[in-house]
Amino acid sequence: METIRNVLRHKLRSFLTVLGILIGVLALTTMGALAENFNALLDGGVKYFGGSVQVGPPDGQAASLLPLSKIDEIKQVPGVSAAFPAYAFQAKPGQITTVSFGVPDTIIAGDPQENQWSALKLTTTQGHYLTGSSGEVVLGSTIDKEFNKKVGDTIDLPVRPADAKPDFVNHTFTVVGILNVTRTAPDTFAYINTTDGQMLLKDSLPIAIRDQIDVSKISEGFDVYGAPGSSLSQLDKIADGINSQVTGVKAVRPSTVVTSFKSGGAIFTAITTAAALLALIIGGLSVVNTMFMAVAERVREIGLKKAVGATTLNVMGEFLLEATFIGFLGGVLGYGLGALITIIANATTPAGQPTLFLITPNLTILSIGFAIALGAVAGVLPAWRAARMDPVLALRSE
Amino acid sequence: MANVELVNLTKNYKRGSEIIRALDGVSLKIDKGEFVAVVGRSGSGKTTMLDLLGLLLKPTSGSLLIDGVDTTKLSDRDRARMRARRVGFVFQEYNLLSGMNVLENVTLPLRYVRDAKAAGRARAIELIDRVGLTDRITHRPTELSGGQMQRVAIARSMVNSPSLILLDEPTGAVDTETAQQLVDLLKRLNREDQVTIVLVTHDLDIAGEARRQIRLKDGKVLTDERVGEAVGAA
Repeated sequence: METIRNVLRHKLRSFLTVLGILIGVLALTTMGALAENFNALLDGGVKYFGGSVQVGPPDGQAASLLPLSKIDEIKQVPGVSAAFPAYAFQAKPGQITTVSFGVPDTIIAGDPQENQWSALKLTTTQGHYLTGSSGEVVLGSTIDKEFNKKVGDTIDLPVRPADAKPDFVNHTFTVVGILNVTRTAPDTFAYINTTDGQMLLKDSLPIAIRDQIDVSKISEGFDVYGAPGSSLSQLDKIADGINSQVTGVKAVRPSTVVTSFKSGGAIFTAITTAAALLALIIGGLSVVNTMFMAVAERVREIGLKKAVGATTLNVMGEFLLEATFIGFLGGVLGYGLGALITIIANATTPAGQPTLFLITPNLTILSIGFAIALGAVAGVLPAWRAARMDPVLALRSE
Repeated sequence: MANVELVNLTKNYKRGSEIIRALDGVSLKIDKGEFVAVVGRSGSGKTTMLDLLGLLLKPTSGSLLIDGVDTTKLSDRDRARMRARRVGFVFQEYNLLSGMNVLENVTLPLRYVRDAKAAGRARAIELIDRVGLTDRITHRPTELSGGQMQRVAIARSMVNSPSLILLDEPTGAVDTETAQQLVDLLKRLNREDQVTIVLVTHDLDIAGEARRQIRLKDGKVLTDERVGEAVGAA
């Protein structure tokens, strides 16, 4: 109670000090939420790419067309438990690619059985996953919101661009399922069956060679799986095995992809967090200044408290509590405001655009906890000065 | 057993290369329940003596015993604990905390004594009643007169039931009539609670109300007289 009263003794000064912490925590919360969202996206990539081996054309080959027969060779490699052909197409061809925190809308074609092997299990919030029948599509949560579809509706894929040429071809698919939110790539994906994927592959081929290629015998790449629960090093070994035993393909070591994802996430987190921490530390310096002023103003009070029995620790504790309370107040208000801003920003994100912010329990603890710790640390020096004050001089100060 | 015993107590200060003997080998005993006035000119050592008795200062040499405990051997923490339990202070400028009301000011010392809060609060209310301020119990110091503020300070000094109360010019900031009322209050509390009172003043009329007068000069005891009898210099 006395702590609150002391903080309120100089309302404007306390308000400005709390405001300093508030701005710092606000920055930490919003920047942190941005980093958390980005990390969630990367974590999905880590989970996906860290759980399978991606096989594509060898270096130097631009066209991503591989004979489907390679899948049998790949399955012969020791450690391989399953391999599936993979196809990916732009869901909105002609769309200008901009810098984004999400993955562009993409059509993914593959064997429905692959979901059983993937480390990133897809689950539906409506309907069901692909059954293998032609003409089915399962939409990710973001792409579903963008096109406002429900199970049973139809959607034409790829989406016809506004300036489409007369020979542009797309196909009508029936929505059989809508995926739960993953906060990573599948949210912007539309999943179709392999045969439909081969149909889209044919549409995407140049007219000159379209009729010469049997798309039922080619794939854009392969997703290869080891035994369930395989470690990264075991998958790396499988990739090495594919590269040495199967000609005309290149397997990417999952650890290379995972490392790349993680370093990207670490750099982004470091930049955003450092900027926010800088703002917060500047706020912390205002607490130091305020507490030194409080000590200077309350010299006689400190002298009196020591005279009536306060120990050095008692006096230090009282001032530390006050500084910590300022940190707590700034932390809670800054976090609350930051969370509110991120909620509003996410809620007003246009349909189909990935949301930018993610508030996690870790971020909540970090934001408020750091503000409290900063307040306490900022109070140490002023509290120490108060605690070491000579009571005789303090009592007779003007 | 004496409540307070000073044995060859000395306090020196350094001012540049010069050493000032603020208290110079003072030895005396003060019994429990005594009402002692310490008088002397400015610079005679009376405030230093009060600060030493209140354990706010450490002596340069000699011993100071309070209730038989040699305080010169105590750590800073134990000296603070002893101040909290056995010593009460009243200052010329009252030193009340402006953000607290009368009851909160009186109960302030309780927070530094373990397990004293529950019983201490009841005692604080009783003391506020004894100093005649029950109707002002929720008032802030700014709403009180000088005499009332000093009565709050006296109640605060007694809340932990100390054995020794030290007063530094307690009537210095009030008018003569209020000063007399405060002295009457102190005499009554001294009589009723058998608490030892040591009062520093340069006002000889106030000092004349005490049952014992110690006169200091240049850090030494010049005279030590009880009412109606001369005890002699220590």
